[in-house]
Amino acid sequence: MKKIHIVGIIVIAVAIGVIFTSLRSSATYSDFTEALANPDTEYHVVGKLDKNQPQVYEPKINPDEFTFTMIDNKGVEKKVVLHKSKPQDFERSEQIVLIGKMQGDEFHANDILMKCPSKYNDGKPQI
Amino acid sequence: MKNEITYIGEHLWAGQLGNAFLVLSFVASFVALVAYYLSKKNFEYLKLARTAFYTHSLSVFGIAATLFYMLFNHFYEYQYVWQHSNNSMPMRYIFSCFWEGQEGSFLLWTFWNVILGLFLRRSLNNEWEASVMTIFSLVQVFLASMLLGVYIGDYKIGLNPFLLLREHPDYYNLPFVQSYIQNTNYLAKVDGKGLNPLLMNYWMTIHPPTLFLGFASTLPPFAFALVGLWKRKYTQWQGMALPWTFFSIMILGIGILMGGAWAYEALSFGGFWAWDPVENSSLVPWLLIVGAGHVMIINKNKAGSLFTTHLLAIGSFLLVLYSTFLTRSGILGNASVHAFTDLGMQGQLVLYVLTFVLLCVAFLLDNSLLRVSYVMTSVLMVFFTSIYGYQKFAFYIWITGSIVLTFYAYNKYFPKENDEEELFSREFWIFLGSLMLLLSSLIITYFTSIPVLNKLFDINKAPLKVEDYNLWIAPFAILIAILMACAQFLKYKHSDKKQFFSKLKYSGIAALLFGGICSVPLYFMKDFSEASSLQKWNLISYALLLISASFSVFSNIDYMLRMLKGKISKAGASIAHIGFALILIGVLISTSKKVTLSKSAVIKKAENVNKELDSQKNILLTQGDTLPMGPYLVTYIGKERVGIDVYFKVNYFTLDKDNKPILAFQLQPKIQDNPRMGQAADPDTKHYLNRDIYTHITAADLNTEVNTKNKDAFNSPKNYIGHISDTIYASNAIIRIDSLRTNMNEQQYAKNDSLLEVTAVLKAMNENGEVFWAYPKYIIRKNMIEPSVYEIKELGLKFSFWKINPQDGSVEITMSEKVKNSKDFIVMEAIMFPYINVLWLGCLTMAFGTGIAIIERLRKLKISNSKNAS
Repeated sequence: MKKIHIVGIIVIAVAIGVIFTSLRSSATYSDFTEALANPDTEYHVVGKLDKNQPQVYEPKINPDEFTFTMIDNKGVEKKVVLHKSKPQDFERSEQIVLIGKMQGDEFHANDILMKCPSKYNDGKPQI
Repeated sequence: MKNEITYIGEHLWAGQLGNAFLVLSFVASFVALVAYYLSKKNFEYLKLARTAFYTHSLSVFGIAATLFYMLFNHFYEYQYVWQHSNNSMPMRYIFSCFWEGQEGSFLLWTFWNVILGLFLRRSLNNEWEASVMTIFSLVQVFLASMLLGVYIGDYKIGLNPFLLLREHPDYYNLPFVQSYIQNTNYLAKVDGKGLNPLLMNYWMTIHPPTLFLGFASTLPPFAFALVGLWKRKYTQWQGMALPWTFFSIMILGIGILMGGAWAYEALSFGGFWAWDPVENSSLVPWLLIVGAGHVMIINKNKAGSLFTTHLLAIGSFLLVLYSTFLTRSGILGNASVHAFTDLGMQGQLVLYVLTFVLLCVAFLLDNSLLRVSYVMTSVLMVFFTSIYGYQKFAFYIWITGSIVLTFYAYNKYFPKENDEEELFSREFWIFLGSLMLLLSSLIITYFTSIPVLNKLFDINKAPLKVEDYNLWIAPFAILIAILMACAQFLKYKHSDKKQFFSKLKYSGIAALLFGGICSVPLYFMKDFSEASSLQKWNLISYALLLISASFSVFSNIDYMLRMLKGKISKAGASIAHIGFALILIGVLISTSKKVTLSKSAVIKKAENVNKELDSQKNILLTQGDTLPMGPYLVTYIGKERVGIDVYFKVNYFTLDKDNKPILAFQLQPKIQDNPRMGQAADPDTKHYLNRDIYTHITAADLNTEVNTKNKDAFNSPKNYIGHISDTIYASNAIIRIDSLRTNMNEQQYAKNDSLLEVTAVLKAMNENGEVFWAYPKYIIRKNMIEPSVYEIKELGLKFSFWKINPQDGSVEITMSEKVKNSKDFIVMEAIMFPYINVLWLGCLTMAFGTGIAIIERLRKLKISNSKNAS
């Protein structure tokens, strides 16, 4: 057996390892209902900000806590506790991706991604 | 729909000129493709081919010049100019406007390709020119078509930068465009939308051209490698391609690191690398081209890794194409912080990537029957899927078939070595290194492609986190660092084991001592015992990486001094390796030992914060107050607005011997109040030789207008709805609704003219923990509400209790505060990056070393050419 074959086997082993572990461990996009059913699993939940519910950011109490309400893509509404400061331009977001877990009836997120209106489509002229 | 109205002030000639250049550049590249192809058999066509390529080059310059002219002179009748520039913009950013849009960046790419093509053509003899430039022209045909913007049926090909605003399909129907069209003199009123202010900095001027030159520079090695397959001359091209490959390593490397520096200096990621798909998809081609450069060096001495060379050189370019697809098709969607938009080119980009994959596999097959049937089958599959659907299914079959054929071709057509490579030979170790690069790029590509895989296999996987990337890449970095340290000390074919070890002995011991001693306080003092098993593994891998990277630095310095006797012209490789090892060390220490200074200052007030999610990062600074933060005392002085930027001045003090604070430095992180993009934080960093203090504002009030109101006046009251034990937040106190008391019983109520009186007991606690009470009353007399106001004089707070909602038992209370209560404050994150300068030093060293290697390779190429000629 040539060394190159041993190397080849290692390559294949690593490849299988990568695919296997990533399929098993990495989080999936989901919704609140599924997150509620598995409170210990981390989920990426996609949804929209409910602008009618209060957003609380009191940096004097805790600069790293921001609460608001999000409606997921299935229409389920949950209170969200984001363990970060309130993102800039939060109100302008069109879509939110939260990364975190369900705790009781609150979704505790440790990270957030926001999609803001595209700079390509806001066709207002400046006169 | 064409109307015959002439509009005043339009410069229609510019668009016509631009479009003429566009068409000419497309046609000329096509002619060059055909003529170069024919000249492979008959050199007489070369003249036509060259003329066509020159024409193509001139028209590309023409397109660029026209677009510049239009931007310079504010021809807002054109959508691209209107979209990306305006009257108030400083002229020095005109280049940034040029490549802000997709059309402009494709043009930039084409432009660099043309420049490289002109140099490449001159360096080749007739035979090689004919075939290499065929491939080159083919790429140019594709790129030129990306700018055409013509419709075939309903399908648009490319994005045209010379469209009139009033005719642009995306803007035609907008009301303001419609209202302009009524007015023939509309141009007198229009100003452009302007460059995104976020991009108005010098990085935007230098980063895109460098990165695109880097992308373009992967084309010559690709063209050479493809010709190598085509002509079945697997080795001959490699000497010629080597300087180009090194050039690509240097420029693409600089381009990527510039992107990192930009992110670190001007954007608020909180670091220089975030494993974002955009970053990954430019890193992967670089890893592959580095691998390609290394196996080419082996092949110069012993042609043993021919297949790998072709795979790496071709893969690098294909992954540049793939990255174009990833970043411009909108497929990344939720996976990236970068703003992506689908401009309707997804299908076209997929088709381009697949065409080049098809081409490469077809060239691999050295059997015309097999080759023709492969191409025909693929074309038929495209044809039938476009009619009947089943695209995904067809794609699975096709990609599997292509991979099988690639393996088949490798087994069947590539010359195999008969003798086995020795374990202690330079070629084997370099080969291993390239393999590590290939493997790590496969892993990164796989993870980055998760959004694509989601679409292909109808799954729903979320993108990977930064820590997961780090975890996967660390072992490869360790192995690569060790290989970099050792390989140069090995001889080709065979080396003596004892000599090898004795040469490496000193740098090995030095690295073990240095790395070992450094990593004890860095990773094993207090962190280790508390760490979870995964973190333990991380810490061990950090220590190993530190040792192996410093091994690499020491042994390459040693090699330069002892083996090369300090001869700089030969030391390109050693210097570049030192640079790369320094980059690894800089990245490792600055990332693994970064300290969030703003964290330690926070006094935990919320008790039931979940431990696992507890990620205290930010500090609240009230204007004028001084707080300890890490080794500093910090004070927020005030803010100042300059244009759309609001600067927040924060002073940093250190204590001297007598414990008196002395001003160390001032930082002014800013928030850009960007009319187009909203608010964006722009960090400010204090650079020391051994550490950086990086800060950015995470929350603040941008209003800088001086409050002229009387300080003792009360602000307008705010209403709060709540139940007992709910909390109301004032600027200077926390107020809890303690209880509600009914002051009268029913009999009294009946007696006293239907009088109802409820008192809300409010418990207010200020920052020092002092408690004050307030008793606003809710009084109903004869069905009329008579609110009574209660003021806490010490706190400057007024309450009035004015409503009870019987349905849910909630109460409504208004609170007004004295103007002077609300001091301005900012919420800030501060991070210390230790030894980040090692990273930048490494970048410069690597670029310098690669530059020397290019010069040396060019010199060698010249010598071998003149030998061949004589």
